[in-house]
Amino acid sequence: MRSSVSYILSSPAPDTRMSHPDYDQIAQDHASILILVHHQEGLLKPKSFTKVWDKIRRVNHTKVTDSAGVTRQVYIRYVKDYPVESNDWGEFQTHRRLLGLISVGQYESQTDLNEICRFHESLKVRYTTTLYDSRCILFGKENEELQTPSNFKSLPLWYSDVESCSDLESQVSELLNSLFWVLESKRQLFSGVSPLFSRMHRSHSQERSREKLDRVPLLLAPFERKDIVGLDLESRTNKKKCMGRMIKHLGDLSLQAGVPHEALQHYISALDTLRSVNDWLWLGGAAEGLCSASVIVLYPGRWRTFPIQRNASLPPSPGKRRPGLIGPSSLPLGSLTPVPIVEDAPKALSPEGILRRYQEAIQNYAKYQSAGMIETEACFKAAQIAIQQGCPLQAASFLKNVVLINLTLTEQEKIQRFLSLSELYTQMGFHRKASLCRRLAATRHVSDQNRQPDWTQCYNLMLQALDGHRLSLDPTERATGGIAEGWPALQIHLLQQLVVAARRMGHSALATRHMTFLLQTMWHHLNPKEQRELTKQLQKLASECEGAPVPLVLDSRAVIPPANLTNIPLAKNFRLQDLPLHLRPQKIQKLKEDMGPFLYTPISFGSLDRKSTKSLSRMDYVWVEGDMCEVLLDLYNPLPFELKVSNMRLLASEVVFESIPSSIVLPPDSGPNTVVLAGVPKEVGELEIQGYSTHTLGVKSNCQLRHMRHMPQPSFTVEVVPALPHMEMSTNDQKNNNLQLPPVDASVSITTISKSLYAGESTECQVTILNSGSQPIELLEISAQCVLDPSQLKQVLQWSADNIQAQLPLHPGASASFTLYLHGHAEYIAPPRSDVNDGGSQPSSLLSGPSSLPSRLSSLASTPQPSRHAHHNELSSGSFRSQISSRSGSSIGSSRLNPKIYDPSAPKVIDCQLKLRYSGGPGLEAGYCRVKSISLSLEILPSILITSWDVLPAETSSQFYLVLDVTNKTLGELELFYADGKVMLLEGNEECRIAVPVERCPLSKLSKLYQNIELTDVEKAELDSVCSDHVASLVDLKWVLPVSNRSGKASLRGLPLTSDMLDIVRMSPLQWEVLLNKEIAKPLSELTCVAGQCLQLGVTVQNYLDWPLHNVALSLKFFQEYQSGIRNYRLDSQLAVAGAPNVLITQLDDQSSVYHECNVVFFMPGLYKIDIQCSSVGNCSGAHPPGDATESTPAHTWKLIPPIELTVTDP
Amino acid sequence: MAVCIAVIGKENSPKYVACLHSENELQFHYKVHTALDVVEEKLSLAGKSNCDVRELYLGLLHSTEEHKIFGYVTNTKIKFIVIVEAANTTLRDNEVRTMFRRLHAAYTDVVCNPFYIPGDHIVSKKFENVVKSIMSGNS
Repeated sequence: MRSSVSYILSSPAPDTRMSHPDYDQIAQDHASILILVHHQEGLLKPKSFTKVWDKIRRVNHTKVTDSAGVTRQVYIRYVKDYPVESNDWGEFQTHRRLLGLISVGQYESQTDLNEICRFHESLKVRYTTTLYDSRCILFGKENEELQTPSNFKSLPLWYSDVESCSDLESQVSELLNSLFWVLESKRQLFSGVSPLFSRMHRSHSQERSREKLDRVPLLLAPFERKDIVGLDLESRTNKKKCMGRMIKHLGDLSLQAGVPHEALQHYISALDTLRSVNDWLWLGGAAEGLCSASVIVLYPGRWRTFPIQRNASLPPSPGKRRPGLIGPSSLPLGSLTPVPIVEDAPKALSPEGILRRYQEAIQNYAKYQSAGMIETEACFKAAQIAIQQGCPLQAASFLKNVVLINLTLTEQEKIQRFLSLSELYTQMGFHRKASLCRRLAATRHVSDQNRQPDWTQCYNLMLQALDGHRLSLDPTERATGGIAEGWPALQIHLLQQLVVAARRMGHSALATRHMTFLLQTMWHHLNPKEQRELTKQLQKLASECEGAPVPLVLDSRAVIPPANLTNIPLAKNFRLQDLPLHLRPQKIQKLKEDMGPFLYTPISFGSLDRKSTKSLSRMDYVWVEGDMCEVLLDLYNPLPFELKVSNMRLLASEVVFESIPSSIVLPPDSGPNTVVLAGVPKEVGELEIQGYSTHTLGVKSNCQLRHMRHMPQPSFTVEVVPALPHMEMSTNDQKNNNLQLPPVDASVSITTISKSLYAGESTECQVTILNSGSQPIELLEISAQCVLDPSQLKQVLQWSADNIQAQLPLHPGASASFTLYLHGHAEYIAPPRSDVNDGGSQPSSLLSGPSSLPSRLSSLASTPQPSRHAHHNELSSGSFRSQISSRSGSSIGSSRLNPKIYDPSAPKVIDCQLKLRYSGGPGLEAGYCRVKSISLSLEILPSILITSWDVLPAETSSQFYLVLDVTNKTLGELELFYADGKVMLLEGNEECRIAVPVERCPLSKLSKLYQNIELTDVEKAELDSVCSDHVASLVDLKWVLPVSNRSGKASLRGLPLTSDMLDIVRMSPLQWEVLLNKEIAKPLSELTCVAGQCLQLGVTVQNYLDWPLHNVALSLKFFQEYQSGIRNYRLDSQLAVAGAPNVLITQLDDQSSVYHECNVVFFMPGLYKIDIQCSSVGNCSGAHPPGDATESTPAHTWKLIPPIELTVTDP
Repeated sequence: MAVCIAVIGKENSPKYVACLHSENELQFHYKVHTALDVVEEKLSLAGKSNCDVRELYLGLLHSTEEHKIFGYVTNTKIKFIVIVEAANTTLRDNEVRTMFRRLHAAYTDVVCNPFYIPGDHIVSKKFENVVKSIMSGNS
C-alpha cells in the first residue's frame, strides 16, 4: 500500500478509472468524518507510530453541543492512507471526503523537520478540495532553534517522545470539534437554516429556504464530469436534478453532523425528486443513504468501537483484519435480531426495508459501469447488514455477483476482494463458499497476470481454505472418524495445490508433509494410477527433504501436525510374542487358582464381571527386563513396485525400551510379509506398545495403533519383570554313543539325553550349566516330571541336590556341573501265568510247601515256549508300573491278574523331563524364575528274567534255598554271579535254574505281625512284603555281559510268595526239637528204625514269641506219601502210638518250652513221615482283650518243616 | 438438459456425481460443493419453522452466468443437486421438479437393494441409466 501511495503521489494525473473499493466499509461509516493519519516515514519507527495510531483511534467519537444546545454525537473514521480517486467521489457521498489530516513524524535536525513539514503540506495539497483542517504531530527533542519552515501553515503539536503525549487525545478531540463546526456550517449554508430555529419547525423552514436558493449547483460524480458538456443546464429537469442531488447531499451532511433523523427526511424527499427525473445513480445514492440512516437510527451503538486492548501481547490474529481499519467482523452473525426499535423514528426503514432499499440501490448503481466501486461497496455493506440481521441467504444474494462487477483492479485488490468475500461468507456460515474464495485468492497470488508471484501468501491462503473442505491436517482426526468425510475429489485437488504451493514456496518439508497426508488420508479415494503417481511424487519430494513425524511450525504460527503413512505398507495382525519357552519367567510360588472342580465352567466365581475386565490388550504373559522380546506383524505392499521399508521400530511408552531397527524389502503388490520387530525393555513396569515406526518412500512415520482403524487394540500392555539370569546347559558325555546331544544353540530350548541301559545297569551323566546372562544364578532347583511315581522315578534317576546347592551362586560367565545317576530299574520276575495253578488256590492250612515244588516246576517245563513269545508280541511297550509289587502280598490276587498287562521282558522306554528352575538377581526378589528342561529318554532293555521260582528248605533250619529259573533275555552271552562267587554262563535266550541259599526271615522282622495271631488281609500283605524284601535284600544277582563289558544287578524285589513259601521263608515262632530215642533228630538227616521196635518220640516246643500262647494243641501225625503225591494218613493198621499224639498245652509262656513224649511202634517197614504241628486255638493272648470277632476262626498252625522222615526197615 | 447431477449424502459427502462433459468435472464438483452452503442454510431455516410436510424441492440455489443450480433434499437428508445451463431459458420449474422426482425414485430403488449399504457410493447401472436419461433430456 505504501508503494501505491508513492505511485499516486508521483503521478499528478491519476487514472480516474482506477478504483479502490474499500471492502471494510460499513453502513455506519456514512455518518463518520474521515481523517487521514499519515505516518511520516523516516525516523519514526512503525512501532511508535502504531502507539500513536492507537492513541488517536481511541478518540472515535466526540460529543458536541450545537448552537441549539443539543448534544450531538460525531463519529470519526481514521484511515492510514486514502486514494485520491476515492476522495473524488466525495461529492457523491460526503463520507468519502477526507476532512482531516494528521501527520505523525519524528525529527532530529532541522532537515528532518523541514522534510516532515514539506510532506505534510504536499498532502494538504493532494486533498485540498476536501480538507478542512490538519495537524502535524512532531516528536523530537525540544530545541528552541528548530523552527517549522515559513510555508508551513498547519498547527504543529510538539512532543518529546511517544510516551509523553498525554494530551494527544484532547488535541484530537479539538481537531474533531473544529471539523464538526466546518461541516455544520456547510450544512447550514446549504440548508440555509439558522441554528436558532427550533427543531420543531426546522423541516418546514428548510423546505422554504431551499426554494429560496436561487441557484443550486449541480453535484457530480467523478465520471459524470466529462458528460456534462452539452447539457441544458437551465432545463426544468436539470434544475430538479440539481435540487434532488443537493437534498441528497444535505442528507449526507446531516448524517455526518450527527442528525440522522433530519438525514432521513432529506433522503426521502431526495428519492422522490430524483425518481421523477430518472437520475438513477443519485437515486441509488439516496436509497443507500436512506439505508445507512435507517441503520444508524435502528441500531444505535453498532459503531466501530476501539477494542480495549491494553495488553499488547495479544495482537489481532493476522489475516483477519487489515491493519489500520477495524472491521465489524467482531459482530457475530444475527447479532441484530433483537432490533432495538427506536420509538421516535417513524421515517426509518424496517429491517427488511433496509435490505430492499439496498437491493434497489445496487440495481441502480449497476446501470453505470463507472460506478462499480460504489456498487461493490454497497454490496458488501448490504451483506454485512443482512448477516447481522441473520439472513444469510439474502447476504449471499448481495455477494453473489460481486465478482462479476467490472472493476479495474490490480491483482492485489482482486485478492483483497476475494478475502473480504471469504470473510463475509465465513460470517454467514457459508464455509464452502468462503473456502472457495480463499482458494481463488490464493491462485490469484500466483496467477500469470501477477507480476510478483507470492507463493507464501498463496500457501497460507490455501491452508485457510482447508476448513471449508472439511479437511483437517491432522490425519488422526480423520482416522478416528471424528469429522465427516467431506468431498474427496475436492480435497485431493486442494491438497495437490497445497503441495505445489509449499514446494514453490521453498519449504520442501511442508510439501513432503502434505503429500504424505494426501497419500495417507486419501488413499482409498485415489485410483491405482493416481496412487502410483502420487507415491512417486512423494518419493521425489522426500528426496529433497525427508519427512519426519514431528509437527511443523510455520511462520504464521500455524502448526502442521505430523502425517504418518500407515497404508504404505499396510500392517495387519500386530501381535506380541511371548518369550521362548525356556526364557519364560514363571512365578516361583504359584498362586492358588480358585477354580471350581471343573476344567471349564460358564459360572465365574467371585465377581461377576471378571471376564469383562480382562482386556485383550493386556497380555497374560510377562517380558523380562534386559531380554529381547518380539512383536510380529504382517506387511502388505499395495504398490506395483518394490517398496523398501527401513528402520522399522517399535513404539513403546511407560517403560524405557530399546527398539532394534529392522528393514525389509516388500515385493510389488505382495503380502502378507511377516516382520519381526524386536526390542529390549530396560526397566521394570507396565510396558505399553503403541505401534511401530517406519521409514519408507523417504518418509519417517510413527504408526500408532490407536489411529489405525483396522487394528483391534489401541495399544498392548505387557508387564516387564526384573531381570533374570540366563542359563545354558550342556551334557559332557560325548564319548558314549547312546547319548545324542544336539548342537547347543540358543534356539534349542531343550537339552536331550537319551540312553539305553540293560535292566539293572547303572550309568551316570554329567550336566554342565553355564550362566550366560548378566545376573547371578542364586536359585537352582531340579525336579523331574514323569508318568512314574516319584518313588519309582528315584529308582531310575538320581542326583545330588546338595552338590548343586553347594555350587551356588553362579556368577555370570561361571559354570557348574552336576551328575545324573541313571539306573536301569526293571522287574526281573515274570508274571505268573494263568496255566500255573498257584498255591494260593489251595487250602493254605496243612499242606507242606516242598511237596508242591516238583509239580510246579514240571508244569513249567512242559509249558510250550511259543506261548511266552506271544506275550512279548502283544505287549509292545510295557508299562513300567509295577503291578507285581502291588499285588505281591496276596497270592489270591496274583491269580486274578491278567498276564497280558505286563511283560517285564519287553524293552521299555522311560520319558522323563528334568526341570531346572533357576533364578537370581532382582528377578528372584520379585519372585520369578526360569525353567530349563532336560528331556531324558531312557530305554531299558531286558537283561535277565526270572520266569519261575520256589523255595526249598535248606539243611539247616536257619536257611532255605531259593530256586530260580533265570532266563538270559539278551542276545549275547551273560555271566550270572550269585551266592558267593557262584557263576553261571548263559547263552542268549538260555534258561537255567539256580538255587540260592538264603537266611530265613528272622522273627524280629515279623514280630509285630504276630501280635495278632489272626491275620487280616492287610497284615498278610504286609507279611508278604516283609518276607519278600528280606529275600530281595539277601539275594544278590549280578550279571556281566562279557562282550560289551557291561554289568548290572538284578533285584528280586516284589517276588510273590505263596503262604506255603512264606512258611519256609520266615523263621517259625516255635522252635522244635525232636528226640528219637533221646537222640536229637536233625532235619533232613537219615533216620531209621526197625519195625516192631518201640520208638520214643520226644518233641520240645519252644516259644520264641514275646508273649505266651494259650491253648496250643500239639499234634503228631504219621502219614505215608506216595509217588503221586497223595498222602495217606490212615495208618492205623501200620503203626500204633502209645501216649497221646495230641496234647493241649494250656499255656506256653514266652521264651519257655514244653516237652511232650510218646512212643510209636511201626508194624510194617516203609517210608513214614511225621507231621508235627502246633495250632493255637482261639485268641488267647493275654495282652489282647478277648472277645474279638476272630475268635471262632480256625487257629493258626505251625508245622515242623520239613517233616521228619523215618525209614522203617525190617528187623 | 442437465449438465451435472449429484447425489450427496447425509454428512455432505458425495455419493454420486455425473457430468455431461467429464473434462471439467472438477469445476462442477466445486459448484455442487459450494451450493451445499445454500442447501444447509435453507434446511436450517426450514428446521426452525415446524412444518409437518416439508417441501423437498429447494428451488434455485444459485445462479451464475453459465449455470443454474437446483437442489432437492429427501427426508433422510440426502441431497440431490442438478445443474442446468443458464442459457436454457425454455426450462420450466415444473420440469426441474420432474427431474428431481425421477432421481428420487431411482435413488429409492438403489436403497431398496439389500446389498447396498446406505452411505456407500452409488454403483448401480439402473441408477446411472436414469441419470443419463435425465441429462440427455429424454423423459
